[in-house]
Amino acid sequence: MSAVVSETGRVGTQAAVAASSLVKVYGKGDTAVRALGGVSVAFQAGKFTAIMGPSGSGKSTLMHCLAGLDNVDGGSVHIGGTEITGLNDKDLTKLRRDRIGFVFQAFNLLPTLSAEANILLGLELAGRKPDKQWFDTIVDVLGLRDRLKHKPSELSGGQQQRVACARALVARPDVVFADEPTGNLDSRSGAEVLDFLRMSVRKLGQTVIMVTHDPVAASYADRVVLLADGHLAGEIQNPTADSVLSALKHLGA
Amino acid sequence: MLKTIIAGVRARTARLLLSSIAIMLGVAFVSGTLVLGDGITEGMKDEFAKTSRGVDVSMSLAGEGPESETGFSQATLDKVRDTPGVQGADLRSYVSAALLTASGKAKPASAGPLASTPELREYDLKDGRFPTSATETAVDVRALATAKLSMGQQITLLDMEDGKHSFTIVGTFAQGANSMSLGGSEHLVLLPEALPQLSDKVRGYELVAKAAPGVTQEQLVANLKKSTGEQGYKFQTGEQLTVETLKQISERSGEFTQLLLAFALIALVVAAMVIYNTFTILVAQRTRELALMRCVGASRGQVFGSVLAEAVVMGFFASVIGLFGGIGVSALMQTVIGSFSGDNTVVRLPVTPTTVLAAFGVGVLITVISAALPARKATKVAPVAALRAQLDSSEEVARTGTLRIVFAVLLGLAGAGVVYLGMGMEEEAALIITGSGTMLLLAMVVTLGPVLVGPVNRVLGVVPKALFGVPAKLASGNAGRNPKRTAATTAALMIGVTIVSLVTVVATSAKETASAEVDQRFPADYTVTSSIYSRPLQQDLLDKIAAVPEVGKVAPMAGFSPESDENSQYSAYLEATTPEAFGDLVRPKVVSGSITGLKDGEVAISSNFAKRSGLAVGGTLPQGLGATKKDLKVVAVVDGIDSSGLVTMATLTAFDPETPGFRSIMVKLKDGVTTEAGRAAVEKVTDASPIAVIDSAAETKAQLNTQVDQVLGFIWALIGLAVIIALFGIANTLTLSVLERTRESALLRALGLTKGQLRLMLVVESVLMAVMGAAIGLVLGVGFGWILVKALSSDSFPITFDVPFGQIGVMLLAAVVAAMIAAAMPARRAGRTSVVAGMAEA
Repeated sequence: MSAVVSETGRVGTQAAVAASSLVKVYGKGDTAVRALGGVSVAFQAGKFTAIMGPSGSGKSTLMHCLAGLDNVDGGSVHIGGTEITGLNDKDLTKLRRDRIGFVFQAFNLLPTLSAEANILLGLELAGRKPDKQWFDTIVDVLGLRDRLKHKPSELSGGQQQRVACARALVARPDVVFADEPTGNLDSRSGAEVLDFLRMSVRKLGQTVIMVTHDPVAASYADRVVLLADGHLAGEIQNPTADSVLSALKHLGA
Repeated sequence: MLKTIIAGVRARTARLLLSSIAIMLGVAFVSGTLVLGDGITEGMKDEFAKTSRGVDVSMSLAGEGPESETGFSQATLDKVRDTPGVQGADLRSYVSAALLTASGKAKPASAGPLASTPELREYDLKDGRFPTSATETAVDVRALATAKLSMGQQITLLDMEDGKHSFTIVGTFAQGANSMSLGGSEHLVLLPEALPQLSDKVRGYELVAKAAPGVTQEQLVANLKKSTGEQGYKFQTGEQLTVETLKQISERSGEFTQLLLAFALIALVVAAMVIYNTFTILVAQRTRELALMRCVGASRGQVFGSVLAEAVVMGFFASVIGLFGGIGVSALMQTVIGSFSGDNTVVRLPVTPTTVLAAFGVGVLITVISAALPARKATKVAPVAALRAQLDSSEEVARTGTLRIVFAVLLGLAGAGVVYLGMGMEEEAALIITGSGTMLLLAMVVTLGPVLVGPVNRVLGVVPKALFGVPAKLASGNAGRNPKRTAATTAALMIGVTIVSLVTVVATSAKETASAEVDQRFPADYTVTSSIYSRPLQQDLLDKIAAVPEVGKVAPMAGFSPESDENSQYSAYLEATTPEAFGDLVRPKVVSGSITGLKDGEVAISSNFAKRSGLAVGGTLPQGLGATKKDLKVVAVVDGIDSSGLVTMATLTAFDPETPGFRSIMVKLKDGVTTEAGRAAVEKVTDASPIAVIDSAAETKAQLNTQVDQVLGFIWALIGLAVIIALFGIANTLTLSVLERTRESALLRALGLTKGQLRLMLVVESVLMAVMGAAIGLVLGVGFGWILVKALSSDSFPITFDVPFGQIGVMLLAAVVAAMIAAAMPARRAGRTSVVAGMAEA
């Protein structure tokens, strides 16, 4: 696989992120919990994938492991052809900085920095110059032009999440991980953010992996991966809110 | 509720530990300062009390009597000894003599008689024994070091006629402080019969007696009055003597106690700030927890009470530990001070009720107040709103209130007013008033702190930003995000640094001025003086020095006071030298007129004397009485001389034809002669004289500097404690901020900040806060120093403002290093937290 996926392979149908037999165990001995019990899954480049599952299904853990935020107890993770399992903290940090974008549920922005500084933070950390045209495109698409100088505390929740989206995309990462990006938003702001994520995949060729428990949010994705009790429990191509909901009901039963 | 409190204490061990240490350090500083002050005062009392110990009756000379001129006679002593009820009696007296050292030079010494009654001795045997024959002596243990003596050594004392008398050292003694031991000379005791060979004028100044068993002090006084008569004597019982001595000490040690109290006050303020800041942050972080308690049914009073109860318990326990810590600090300080002065000091640790009250006042009261204010704020908010509130919301970072500005302006106006007032005063009043004014201004800056943090942070942040990039930029943002918190954290350090630099600037200015004055007043290469004050140098020595080929010029200096009416505004102490020396080897600062070529019958008066006498250039100064009466013509007013005026030698001899000799001889070497060669040549002459010693300006300066440096060292040590507490405050704030920002740090890590960069960020933040405090403190300290120097400086005693840049650099560097150490723990902690765990933190 690593032989096929090139650095610029994000537009193709190759896997941008792939996990094989991923195992994650929390705790030790009697109290040990197998959060991931050998998950093998691949995420296509240039696609919007949602990871879904009931609470405790391991969806957040899966995302953390895929993004190199947490170490794994077994199996391997590849991002854009690089095996990240086994990388040390410094290399992982560099990898995150250069090739991964993040949108979290809340607390996405540094309160001390303006919106613009927050967007450019990752690039600055990597010591890279922003692509002015690309920056403008993102800012305009997200409607943040007149908000750039504001501090996060002066932005609405939706605006804050859009700034987070802009930051995730401005570095043109191999993949964007979004962890419940609409969890704290009202439905209208949530829809705006989801629209943008989908648009970034369809028009800008990004790869987005989103963790959510909201069927409506999942319906924006190209594909939904279902997780239950630390194992893959099926997937849905071109999901709708209804199809996701019924699949979830099935899982919960 | 109690269970909740205990559970809360358990759950937050780390945070509680931090605030407890803050309290402990604060209490330790305050109690340590108080214990130190009490200890030193007690030590002084004990020292002075040696004078009056064992004494049941003391007789001193007062008014006109048979012995008012000669001192107590042996006959009186015998009479006293024969008086009924007297167990023993001794005469107290001393003889000035010159102690010949190994180098052949004389040092001033004073010899006292060994009291025959052991209880009446003012000194304790340290080693060996007291003399038992007229050729034996015991010396003050301090003299072993200062005069390089040793037990069993043969020493030589010179009498007034340079006759040599040998004694063997058979013992050493330690003596308390008394009028005799505080002088600069070496002390020894001889048998009373050995004293007259040194001087025919042994003047007994006090007669002390011990009562026989069963005789009261009052009875003994009555008996003595009968046997010696009352005329010309003053009788005091031992108790009266003790009371009088202690009264003198309180006056003497009063200033010192005040100084220490001032430090204790600074300690109190600094400690209070650190404690208050820690609790403000702690309670702010618990706002959500408190709100949750209210949501599940706790009343506002219960929540508030639980915070208070916790504060009381913590304050109490921390105070107990802090009190003991303070006693330890005091013991340490006394050892340090003891090593300065070279005495084998006894460490005294008196714990007075005041100390205990102050300790618990600081520890419990300030802790409770520090907890109550933010807790009140926290419980006022509706529970649900508090639950929702984000920690770093801008509400907490409240804008600077108008009230604060108004208060600061008032403080500033008051401070400026008081400073202006103090500027018009002189000496001590100027120091105290102007000093208080600057403290008001300091209070103004502390009040304005939150307003200053922003701009100062932006200016200071430029350097690390340029050096370290993004992490430093984030650090600067963090340091400035909560101005109130940053201001409170840095204020403690700022106060400490302000005081240190203020004292240092004033002391350095005084030191430099004194040095410059030495340079100015002693243009001579060397000054030959007499090591024994009462024995001036003679003409033949002057001639011999003048005859040395390496010597270019010599000038003698003599001092005298012409007879005058008592209380006359013209009574003066004049100094005389040869006419050629004026403007050459004698070079005072001329205020008006000219001193070059000062003629016989003319005088150059000091500006102080000009003020006192109302004379100016062109005026006439009448001196002498009767036959020697002469009018001197004032030709100049000068500054920087010790005496009232300068005249020529001939003028002096006109008043007193039999001049006893010279106080000093100034020596200027020929051009091209090195100071070493010159000194060696002059030494050949002075070596022959036991009393002539060579001083150079450099040596005089060194002497001055050691004194000032000792005082400075003491003040640095005291304030050093305040600075340590302040730095701990920074570590405390940083640790709490790190806890508070766990999620933020995790976010940064997720976005690609390496562990190293995260640590760097915290170190830079810490350094920024420390430098902020230190920089403002330095600016204030130097500024206040300038104000004080201006206030203290007068026409007659001008002080040049001088900034010790070296020391200031050291202080700034120390602040940076200390801040890096302070950041070490929180940085380690922040680096350890995993990204996922950090993100999960609420």
